[in-house]
Amino acid sequence: MNVQRSVGATRYVGQRTARKEDGRLLVGRGQFTDDVRLPGMLHVTYVRSAVARGRIVSIDTEAAREMPGVHAIYTQADLAALPVQMLSFFFAPIEAPVTLLADGRVACVGEPVAMVIAESRAQAEDAASLVEVTIEEEAPLVTIADARTGPLVHPGRDDNVAAEMGDEDALDAIQPLIDGAAHVVTQTVHHQRIAQSPMECRACVASPDGTGEMTVWMGCQSPHLAARYLSLALGLPAESIRVIAKDVGGGFGLKNIPWREEVAVVVAARLFGRPLKWIEDRFEALTASSHAREQEATLTAGFDAEGRLTAGWCDYACNNGAWPMGEDANIAVHMFMWPAYKLPAYGFITRGWYTNTMGLGAYRGPWAMETLLRETLLDKAARRLGISPVEIRRRNLVYLSDQPHTSTLGVEVNDITPGECLEKLVANVDIAGFRKEQKEARRQGRYLGLGFAAYIEPTGAAGTMAPMTGETAQLRIEPTGKVTAMLSTHSQGHGTATTMAQVIAEQLGVLYEDVSVFEGDSAIGAFGPGAAGSRQGVIAGGATWRASQLLAEKVKVVAAHLSNAGPDAVTISGGMVHVEGAPEMSRSLKEIAEIAYGEPGRLPEGMASGLEAQFRYQPPPVTMTSAAHCCMVEVDAETGFVKILRWISSEDCGTVINPGVVEGQIAGGLAQAIGQVLLEEMPYDARGNPLAATFKDYLMPAISDVPDFEYIHANTPAQTIGGMRGVGEGGAIIGPPTLVNAIADALSPFCEIEELTLPLTPARILDVIEQRDVSGTRDRANRDEAARARDEMAEAPPLASEVSAQGPQASIDGDWNMTLKAPMGGQSFLAHFEADGAELSGYLSAPDGRQDFSGGTFENGRMQFMVKVDNPMKVTLKYDLQAGADTITGKCKMGMFGTAKVTAVRV
Amino acid sequence: MKPAPFDYERPSSIGEACRLLDEAGGGATVIAGGQTLVPLLNLRMSQPFILVDINGIDALKGISRVEGGTRVGPATSQAEALSDETLGRHLPALVTALGHVGHYQTRNRGTIGGSVALGEPAAEMPAAAVALGATIEIASVRGNRSVKADEFYLGPFMTVLEPDELVTGIVYPDWPPDHVVLFREVAQRPGDFALVGMVGALAIADGKISRAGLAWFGMGPTPIKARQAEVALIGAAPGEADAQAIAELAVADTAPFGDHRASAEYRRTVGRRIFVRALREALEAKETA
Repeated sequence: MNVQRSVGATRYVGQRTARKEDGRLLVGRGQFTDDVRLPGMLHVTYVRSAVARGRIVSIDTEAAREMPGVHAIYTQADLAALPVQMLSFFFAPIEAPVTLLADGRVACVGEPVAMVIAESRAQAEDAASLVEVTIEEEAPLVTIADARTGPLVHPGRDDNVAAEMGDEDALDAIQPLIDGAAHVVTQTVHHQRIAQSPMECRACVASPDGTGEMTVWMGCQSPHLAARYLSLALGLPAESIRVIAKDVGGGFGLKNIPWREEVAVVVAARLFGRPLKWIEDRFEALTASSHAREQEATLTAGFDAEGRLTAGWCDYACNNGAWPMGEDANIAVHMFMWPAYKLPAYGFITRGWYTNTMGLGAYRGPWAMETLLRETLLDKAARRLGISPVEIRRRNLVYLSDQPHTSTLGVEVNDITPGECLEKLVANVDIAGFRKEQKEARRQGRYLGLGFAAYIEPTGAAGTMAPMTGETAQLRIEPTGKVTAMLSTHSQGHGTATTMAQVIAEQLGVLYEDVSVFEGDSAIGAFGPGAAGSRQGVIAGGATWRASQLLAEKVKVVAAHLSNAGPDAVTISGGMVHVEGAPEMSRSLKEIAEIAYGEPGRLPEGMASGLEAQFRYQPPPVTMTSAAHCCMVEVDAETGFVKILRWISSEDCGTVINPGVVEGQIAGGLAQAIGQVLLEEMPYDARGNPLAATFKDYLMPAISDVPDFEYIHANTPAQTIGGMRGVGEGGAIIGPPTLVNAIADALSPFCEIEELTLPLTPARILDVIEQRDVSGTRDRANRDEAARARDEMAEAPPLASEVSAQGPQASIDGDWNMTLKAPMGGQSFLAHFEADGAELSGYLSAPDGRQDFSGGTFENGRMQFMVKVDNPMKVTLKYDLQAGADTITGKCKMGMFGTAKVTAVRV
Repeated sequence: MKPAPFDYERPSSIGEACRLLDEAGGGATVIAGGQTLVPLLNLRMSQPFILVDINGIDALKGISRVEGGTRVGPATSQAEALSDETLGRHLPALVTALGHVGHYQTRNRGTIGGSVALGEPAAEMPAAAVALGATIEIASVRGNRSVKADEFYLGPFMTVLEPDELVTGIVYPDWPPDHVVLFREVAQRPGDFALVGMVGALAIADGKISRAGLAWFGMGPTPIKARQAEVALIGAAPGEADAQAIAELAVADTAPFGDHRASAEYRRTVGRRIFVRALREALEAKETA
C-alpha cells in the first residue's frame, strides 16, 4: 500500500489495509487450541449415547480401563465431585437440569455419557469403543409435533414447552383487522435444522496448577466471557481461571459459551490434576455440537387495496432439542420483524419445544426467521397485488423522513436506512433490462428470477442483557515509540487486530505497521463479550477510537510543554510530532516516549509518567444496521437446479473501517444463507438419529456454489464514537429471503411456493413447477399427521399445577422473598402483602426500585394483582398466585413476554 | 476420529498381496488411494486387522492396449487416467465420466480400481464399467478369474469380490472409432456423488445403431444396465429412434431409493429427462455427421 506520510494526510480508516492476522494464518503458523502441547498433557474422548431417549441401566468401564494408555474413565458420578451449574449466554441457570455427562437418563443421540482420559487420542478412542453403555430405550420425541403431544422430555417439568412468550388473547383484537383487510397473505416457513460447522471444531485444553489456578485454551468467541462463565459455573473466583484463544476458526454463536464437553474437560483436569486436551472431531461436530434453527412459523398479514400493511399475526415454534444453550422462544423474531415497516398492529405467540434431539445454540442472526418470513411474504403479496417487489417495499418501509418511528411492540428507530439502501440498490441495477431479458428467456424455456429483500438488524447491544457490556481499550506508546493495544476483542476470522490497528493508526497519527494489537486472552484488557451480536466494530471500535484520541492529547500536551507551544499547535502524523510554525521542533514519538518514561521531570507538573490511555466505551443500548440486497437466478425447469447469476448487496454499516473486512463479513453470511436455502440440512430419523454424520451427507456450500458478490456501501455514520454499525450477521439474515424471492420470481410462470420448506432441494423446486409431490414432502407430512393423531389418543401427562392440592387460607400479611423465573433468567425481590378481607395491596421491592400495587384480590388463598412496569419496556404484570402457610406459588403473565413461574417463601 | 489399531503391509507383487489377503482370513482390507477408505477407517466403520497397501505393486499400475481392448491397472490414479492419451483415444466415455469423479485434489490419489471395486451405487466408475462392457480381472492364491462388470455388483458397496481376492485389472473392450459418448449427471455440487446419472456409448454401422452400452448410477442399489433401452436401440436408425420411449424403457430397469436429498420419484423423473437429453444429442450428432 502506498501510504502518504505528509502532515494530516495519513488515512487508514476506510482503506483495504492488509490484515495483520494473515501472515501467520496463511503460512500455517496460527496458534489454535490443538497447537497447544503441554508437558504431561493427556487426551480426552467422550463415549456418547447412541440412543435418543432412555434410562441408563449400566455403564461398564472394566474392559476399557485395562486398555493401554488409559488413565481414567469418568462418569457423571465422578464429575459430580465438583458441583457445576450450567448457564445460558445470559448467565441464567439452564432450566432443564443439564449435567456435564448423562445423569441416569439420556435425552438425545450424541449426549456425552462417559469420558476417557488416555495418553493419546487414539488410545482414548480405542478404550471408548469398549465402554459398554446399556440403555433401556424409550420412544423418542423428534419433531415439534412430537413435543406438542408426546410424553415429557424432561421428567418433572409441566410440559415440553421450553420457553413461551406472546399473548394469544391479543389475537382477538388482531384477527378482525386481518379479516377486514383487502388482501390477506400468509407465509409458512419450515426451516431445517442446521449444523453450525465452523472450520475449526470445538476444542479445549485445561491446565490446572498447584495453587488452584487454571489456564484454559479454548475455541471461543471471547476469552473474557468464557473465563467468567467458567468461574460462575464452577463457583470459582474469576481471577483463578485464565482463558487463552489466540486463533479460532469460526464461532457463529456455537462458541458463545463453553458447553458440556468443554466444561467437563475443565472439571476433569481439576479432579485429575493434569493438563487435558479435547479436540472435537467432525463427526462429533456435526452430530453432537449445538445445532441451530429448526423452526416452523406462519405469518399472516393484511394489506389494504394499495398494498399497505394493516395488521399481522405470527405463530412461531422452534425445536430447542433436549439441552439447548439456554431455553429460547426467540422473542427477537417478533421484536425485530416490523420496526422497519409501517405496520399498525401486530401480535404473536412464540414457543420453544423440548425434544430428544441435540440442543440448539445461537447461530449468526439467531432471529433471522423474521426477515425470511416478512420479506418472502411481501413478495408473495406483491405478486398477488400485481405490483413490483420494490414498490411494495416503498409503500411500507420506514424511510429516514419517517423517523423517529416506534414499532407496535415499542421498538423505536431513529436512524435506520433500509429504504435508502433499497433506493441506492435500485439505482445500480437495471431492473427494466432484467425484466426484458427474463421475458425473452422464458420464451426459450429458461427461467430467470430477480429477488429483493430489505432488513434492519440490532447490533452492538450493550447494557441491557447480562454479558452484553461496553468494551475497554488500553493503549500505550512504548518507550520505543511503537504502540501497543491491549483489547478484549476476539477474532474467529474477524480481523479485529487489523481494524483496531487501523483506528489507532489513524486517530493517533502513527504508522499501521507500528501498532501491535494484543487480544485473545482473558488476562489482557477488561471484560467484553467478544464476537457476539455484531458488536466489535461498534463498541471496541468506539473504545479504541476514543482511547487513541486521549493518548494523542497527552502526547500533544507533552510536546507542547517541551516546545513552549500550545497543544493546539501540535500535530502527530506518521509517528512524528510536529509543532506548527517550528519545523525544527519536530520530534519522533520515540523521543517523546523516552522523555515520558525516562525523564518524567521534563513533563508538565503533576502529569503521570509514561504514555498510556484507557477508555471504556458504553455505547447506546443498540445500534441499527440496515441493508437491501438483490440477486438473480436461473432455475432449470427440467432438473429443479438453481444457478445464482448475480448478487448485489447495498448495506449501511455506518463508518467502514476496512471495506475488505466488511465485505468478507457480508460474503461469509451470504455463503451460509446460500447453504441454508439450497443445501444444508441435518435430518433426524424417527428413532432420533442425526443422519448427516459427515460432509458427504451434510452439504456445505462450496466455492462453486457461491458467486462473486457485488457491494454498495451506503454509509450513514451511527450515533456512536466513530460512527460504526455492526455488520457481522447481516448476510446470514438478509441472504435467505433474497435468494428465495429470486427463485419464487423465476417460478412465478408456474405457481407460487405455497409453503416454504428449506432447503429448496431440486426435488422441492420440481414440486412447484409440476404441481405434484415429486419430493415426497407431502407424503412425509401426511405420515407425521398420522403419527400425531395416534399420539393424541394417548393420555396426556397430568400437569403439575392441576394436581397440586389447594391448602386452607392462611394469612399472607408481611414480607416474602419472591422469585420470578423469567425467560432471560431469574429475578429475586422482596414482596410485601397486606390483605384486608378480600382486598390485596402491597409492594414489590428490588435494588433498582419499588413498585406499589393495590386493588388486588385474595380469595380462598388465591392472590390476583397487577403491577405496571415502565422499564426496560412498558408492560403490565398480571400475578395469579396460590398462597400456602409459608410458600406462595403461581404464575405471572408478562404481556407479550409470556408467563413466568413465581415462587415465594416467608422472610 | 482415529482408526482402530491395524497392521500395515506394503507388498511389492501381486502374489505377495494375495498371500497376505489369504493369511488374514478375511481380516485384511486393500488400500489404494484411500479416498473413501480412510474416512471409513477414521469413523471406525471399517476396522481391518491388516491394511494391505497396493501402491508398491508396479504391475497394478498403468494403462496398456490388449487384444481387443484397453487394460487399466487398478492402482492407476484417476488424475493419471484423465490425462492418458490411450484412454482418450479409445475410451472417451470413461474419460468424460472420470472428469466428474470427486475433485481435482481427490483424483490425485483416488484410483480407478478403488472406485470400481468399492461399488458406490451413485459413483461414475462402476456405471462406466458396466455400460462399456468391461471385464474385471481378479487374483487370489486360489487362482485368477474374470468377471463381467454387470455381474460384479451385488448391492450398495457389495461385489462378488471375496475377502482374499484382489482386483488386478479392468479391461474395457474397444468401441468403433466413431462411436458416440453419452454422459449426464445431476449432482447438487460439482464433485458430489450424483443424485442421478447415466453414462454410455453408441456405435453406428450402415446407418443403423449396431451397438449400445448404457448404464445408470444413483438409480438403484448397484450401477444398472439399461438393457431394455439397449435392445430397443440396436438396429434402429438414429433419426427414427424415439428418445422418449427408449428413456421410459431405461427407467423401467431402475429401482431408485429416496433419501433426504432426493426422492425416488425425483430420480426417476429427472433420470428420464437427462436420458432423453443425452440420447437426443447423441442421435442428432450421428444424424448430422
